[in-house]
Amino acid sequence: MPLGTYKEALSARSTDSKILDVSQDGGIVSALLCYALDEGIIEGAVVAGTPDEDWRPIPTVVTSADEVIAAAGTKYSMSPTLSALKEATRQYGLEKVGVVATPCQTQGLRKAQAYPFTRFVVDKIKLLIGIYCMENFPMASLDTFATAKLGFDSLTDATKMDIGKGKFWLTKDGEDSGLAIKETHGYEQAGCNICMDYVAEWADVSTGSVGSPDGWSTVLTRTDDGDSIFKAAVDAGLIETKPMDDVKPGLPLLEKLAKGKKDKNGKERENRAKLGLPLPVEY
Amino acid sequence: MKDRVVISPTTRQEGHAELVMEVDDEGIVTKGMYFSITPVRGLEKMVLSKAPETAPVLCQRICGVCPIPHTLASAEAIDQALGIEIPKAARLLREATLAAHNINSAAIHHFLVAPDFVPEELFATAVDSVSNIRKNVQYVVDMIAGEGIHPSDIRVGGMARNITPFTKERLIERMTALKSDLEAHIELIKNCVAESAEKMGIPKDLGVVNQPLLAVHPTYGVNEFDMDAFSEVLPEAWYDDPEVGKRGCSVIPLINGTNVETGPRARMEKFQGFKDKGVIAQHVARADEMLKNYDACLEALDAIDPAASARADYDPRGTGELGFGIIEGPRGTNAHMAKVEDGKIKFYSAIVPTTWNIPTMGPATEGFHHEFGPHVIRAYDPCLSCATHVMVVDDEDKSILKNEMVRI
Repeated sequence: MPLGTYKEALSARSTDSKILDVSQDGGIVSALLCYALDEGIIEGAVVAGTPDEDWRPIPTVVTSADEVIAAAGTKYSMSPTLSALKEATRQYGLEKVGVVATPCQTQGLRKAQAYPFTRFVVDKIKLLIGIYCMENFPMASLDTFATAKLGFDSLTDATKMDIGKGKFWLTKDGEDSGLAIKETHGYEQAGCNICMDYVAEWADVSTGSVGSPDGWSTVLTRTDDGDSIFKAAVDAGLIETKPMDDVKPGLPLLEKLAKGKKDKNGKERENRAKLGLPLPVEY
Repeated sequence: MKDRVVISPTTRQEGHAELVMEVDDEGIVTKGMYFSITPVRGLEKMVLSKAPETAPVLCQRICGVCPIPHTLASAEAIDQALGIEIPKAARLLREATLAAHNINSAAIHHFLVAPDFVPEELFATAVDSVSNIRKNVQYVVDMIAGEGIHPSDIRVGGMARNITPFTKERLIERMTALKSDLEAHIELIKNCVAESAEKMGIPKDLGVVNQPLLAVHPTYGVNEFDMDAFSEVLPEAWYDDPEVGKRGCSVIPLINGTNVETGPRARMEKFQGFKDKGVIAQHVARADEMLKNYDACLEALDAIDPAASARADYDPRGTGELGFGIIEGPRGTNAHMAKVEDGKIKFYSAIVPTTWNIPTMGPATEGFHHEFGPHVIRAYDPCLSCATHVMVVDDEDKSILKNEMVRI
């Protein structure tokens, strides 16, 4: 099962133009957070924001729809998002917290929930939204893509960043410049090469662009909570959905990429094991 | 005929101590000696030559029963040693934290003395009440200081962060809702103490001492300490019994050459006009003080401006002057002092509440039957693990290392 356990797979998109204007794809993360905030399911969320518009992600606590929307969009560098959880559950006083996390962060959180080390922190997490992730880049790698590979003066010149159609894209002055994904190999953080999880298998809800048409996201609802919150947001008219079978390229592409990550990184894990290097346990 | 009654260890307290009572034919205590047998803590030595920010992190580990006063005393001592004036918001956050913690600690003590005073039919009620109060006040500490035990967010220069307006409102709401429960708890404890004291025949003047009081602030603390009036003697020089002197593990701190009484009763007498003395008075004072701390906590919470900065920028190199963090903890005055030079801690010392009380507690048992001895001790709510200064080196004769080594 390359996609992990899930209840339902759907192609979906936010119905709010304010969200769609700023979102990476279908705005599902923002729409779900806004809905959960409005309904009091969560009092705030820990997300990766980019307050300085230099593409550097900063862990941010958001407590309103405006703050959610200000933090919308995918970040392509590492955000130590979980580091803001303590602040969220302490000085922010949040009793019910949402988290937007990459697969590795999702695993970390679930482990923290399984062990009694994080008193009054992880037990306050009420919604864990996982985002699909193949690999992640240090800021220095992004700078290299922008300047050395795409000829930008600086990464800050880019107004949009995206990965799709086999390329890493930067937009400057309305013009898209693409860098083949294979050109980025070797620039990812080393840990990504032994990660077996593409689709945040331990989240309440996982989402990302792969499998759905442009402007839409593929959603996997996984837990009872994740499923009911997602369905409620759909019923409230904040999210529109289509069956995965009706959209191109559909679930087979997502499965292919998820399996590809497991196969490729499984081999790397074997290599490292042969060398006697330590490997994190996979679940 | 002189007889000796030894209680070792004394129970329902933190750490290990021994109570030695010489008694006459009627069992009346003629001489009481109370001394710590807890091994050395040594944290003051560990922080030497380390960055000033290390002190609050390590020294809060002196004890897990009252870590908040240790963190605050340590942070305040370092603040002064670095010449930092912390922002007003930070001071208010610290005050609210300490007041909430002191309520918590008094409630823990009520749990410890419940088997003495609370009748069986009320026991579950009393324990529930203790839990309810602790849950609520520890929530305040958690939110402001990061953790209820060993707080992460009390920092040199102030606090890691200010609280949000949402949190301020939530804390005030929660504390306001606690008031009636707290009043009922205080009433319950005071009634139980009064009724069972009578039933058990606890004399009204049990444990009355007339030692000078040590208390520096009604609910928080100060940054000054009269070093000229202060002196320390080793247990060997203090206890008449050489055997006790050898085994005692804490130095004896004195003010103007005499031992003192510190704690809730001392504070209540000095600042709130509380008059009574002795065991029962100590229990009453501790219970009544919960309400004083409650008011102090709400007052500080109310005055906090969530938009203000809670942390000052500072130069970590140090002034080379001795900085004082004198904080009123649940068991009394907790004095930390530190000197920082060239960005490293050059001197650190902590004289903690129970250390002050140890020489006073033994003699407080005198003049009454030895059966009341444990009551006298428990009324001080001693916490030995933080009070211990010296180390036993030779297990055979229990002698301590050279004197210059034990002043830590």
